[in-house]
Amino acid sequence: MASILNQIGTISALNVRSIPQRLAMSIATVVAVALCITVLLFFLALANGLAATVKGSGSADVAIALREGSNAELNSVITREQVNILASGPGVTVKDGAAAASAELLVIVDGIKRSTQTKANISFRGIGPQGLAIRPAARITQGRMFAPGTNEIVVGSALLREFAGFEFEQTIRLRGGEWKVVGVFESPGAVFESELWADVGVLQSLFDRPNIFQTLRVKLNSEAEVAAYADWAKADARLKQLQVLSERDYYAQQASQSTGAFMIIAWGLGITMAIGALSGALNAMYSSVAARAAEIATLRIIGFSGVAAFVGTLVESLMLAAIGAIIGLALAFLFFNGRSTSTLGSGFTQLVFKFELSPSVIVSAIVLALVIGFVGGVFPGVRAARQRPLLELAG
Amino acid sequence: MNDLVLMRKNLFRRPVRTILLIVSILIAFLIFSATMSFSKSITTFNSKPNRMVTVSKINFTESLPIAHYDKIARTEGVSVATHLNWFGGYYQDPVKGFMPVFAVDPETYYEVYKEDLPLAENVKQAFFTERTAMLAAEPVAAKWGWKVGQKVPMNSNIFSQADGSHVWDFTLVGTFPTPPGSSQTGSVLVGYKYFNETISFGRDHIGWISFLTKSAALNDQVVNAIDQRFANSADETSTQDEAAFNKAFAAQLGNIGLVVTLVVGAAFAAILLIVGTTMVLAVRERTQEVGVMKTLGFTSGRVLRMVLGESLLLTLIGAGLGTGLAALALSLASGGSSGGPPIYFDLSVIKWCVLIALAFGLVTGLLPAISAYRLKIIDALARR
Repeated sequence: MASILNQIGTISALNVRSIPQRLAMSIATVVAVALCITVLLFFLALANGLAATVKGSGSADVAIALREGSNAELNSVITREQVNILASGPGVTVKDGAAAASAELLVIVDGIKRSTQTKANISFRGIGPQGLAIRPAARITQGRMFAPGTNEIVVGSALLREFAGFEFEQTIRLRGGEWKVVGVFESPGAVFESELWADVGVLQSLFDRPNIFQTLRVKLNSEAEVAAYADWAKADARLKQLQVLSERDYYAQQASQSTGAFMIIAWGLGITMAIGALSGALNAMYSSVAARAAEIATLRIIGFSGVAAFVGTLVESLMLAAIGAIIGLALAFLFFNGRSTSTLGSGFTQLVFKFELSPSVIVSAIVLALVIGFVGGVFPGVRAARQRPLLELAG
Repeated sequence: MNDLVLMRKNLFRRPVRTILLIVSILIAFLIFSATMSFSKSITTFNSKPNRMVTVSKINFTESLPIAHYDKIARTEGVSVATHLNWFGGYYQDPVKGFMPVFAVDPETYYEVYKEDLPLAENVKQAFFTERTAMLAAEPVAAKWGWKVGQKVPMNSNIFSQADGSHVWDFTLVGTFPTPPGSSQTGSVLVGYKYFNETISFGRDHIGWISFLTKSAALNDQVVNAIDQRFANSADETSTQDEAAFNKAFAAQLGNIGLVVTLVVGAAFAAILLIVGTTMVLAVRERTQEVGVMKTLGFTSGRVLRMVLGESLLLTLIGAGLGTGLAALALSLASGGSSGGPPIYFDLSVIKWCVLIALAFGLVTGLLPAISAYRLKIIDALARR
């Protein structure tokens, strides 16, 4: 047993150290694996970052009510009467005599996407007086909060990064009215940071949607009370046609809808490119075995086993793939990990997020690279193991 | 034995290696033709240079008062105008059954989109006159098993009827085919009149206006006339040609062009290296043979042409297979389904594939061809 391991160690070392002799084809394999891994990581990091931002937006102790089947805030409709009933529901936090509830209206306005200089859908959210309080992660970092009842806007810092048209202290004309950007807010890792916020009443009147809201968010005393609150809402005939769920569940649903297509693209392209890289790896390894035919034959005659010749070839191939994976990861960290970008989310508005390489994304990429290395080494390895020593030396 | 036969024999003398190279070239061209077709499909639909859209200046999701329609239809230079409302339609399931349903003014809609609506006379008349009439793209009707004449309960994820219901019963009066690039791909059309009379809010508002100008040369003049007409009103407009509007919409997804370029670039770079290094090796293995050929009187030029020809042949086989596979895969993917974007194989990709394949073949063959060209007989025969 020990001798077989020794043999494997010796041949593997011999193979790996002789890679420079077959440099061109080895480099081609490494580069092909690296590029394949980079492409896979690009789309996986995109899907992962997008999902993380959407999922990170919901609080577990906030319940959101929207019209059943509306599937997105934009489509939903809730009346003032329903809002009043919902705000007085069981378990709603009351502070200084006021329920921690925010009835909201979302409209879409055009912004200019900096990267393409084209128009893009921006969320313009009207929030209630408690809107900031039920989003504890959000805080004003520049200027001040809008004054209730005025045409003032605060802008999310992520929005500012990716879109033009809503800079601090700028005046914006919409529907014949003038709006002023009086503050910038942050809400790290949440969709809200890609939004504009203003007073919901002012938004309703200026956008001609009197007494119509889309969602109601209420903060409950604890996470555990969301289910009871939803059941209570379901039992009330005046609230029929509404769906009540925790904000966290709502955003989890939205996340899976947003990222499905990117996951398909990631694996579709990743696996296709992996097949190309695998062809390269197989070619390189067959050539390696052919180039070392005399060497392998010699080793066999002096007593090395076929298994050792097989494993030696496999190790060489895995080594090339591993180097490719490391380069691919390095390229990903260098060029796009942590970069900010934006796309049209499931809510039909632009969502700003960051490319994010999570441990599971990195593991997926390494596994794919090792599969290429393994398959690329197995068949040429079998050929190496089956070589008949005398024949090869005679040739 | 002519040179072509020699090239072919040379190419396939190590069949495993050649097949592997063909597979890798195939992959590069598959990725190229599929991603190019994809980006083309989602950025360009059948659009007419004189077909324009007017949307709210705030954003195209913001509605406009119906009075805008009459004013635009009567604008000088406009030949026919129609209006559309986004219905927010879904059948059975809000996510899986989601589909683009538009409430339109039937007669004028037909006039504006005639080319993509080949309707039999009786279907056309039914669509124009029946209150609950609905038309659907053939693949949509097939997917959900709708038969002409049947009632289809369609949900709206936005609108409600007076009784609070979200479901409208429409009658499917006909279907229309949607060949690649059709502007009506995946669409379901219902009548605005019925829609407007039954919705509980948003009445007398329209989503956007689509119209034809008398000639594309009048486009700029019409744009100015319309947008100035509504300037400084509560409902300002933004008018542009259909192609520009579609392009801007696709750009909302991201910088698709840049991503496609990078992905395609990565695929070609990887495969170019693989094929290039293997071709160098393949010709080096034949050094002695090249020496023999030159001894027999093959000129250096002829040897060079044969090596180049071999790499060209290899690339063209791989490119042909890859492009063919992309066409096959896309036709399978787009047939039947209606949920996703209308993706189809774009024929103009073929031209690019041929050009790239020629360049790719020449580049990968160049190095070994030159070394074979320069090879002296004495060195070739001495090399082991």
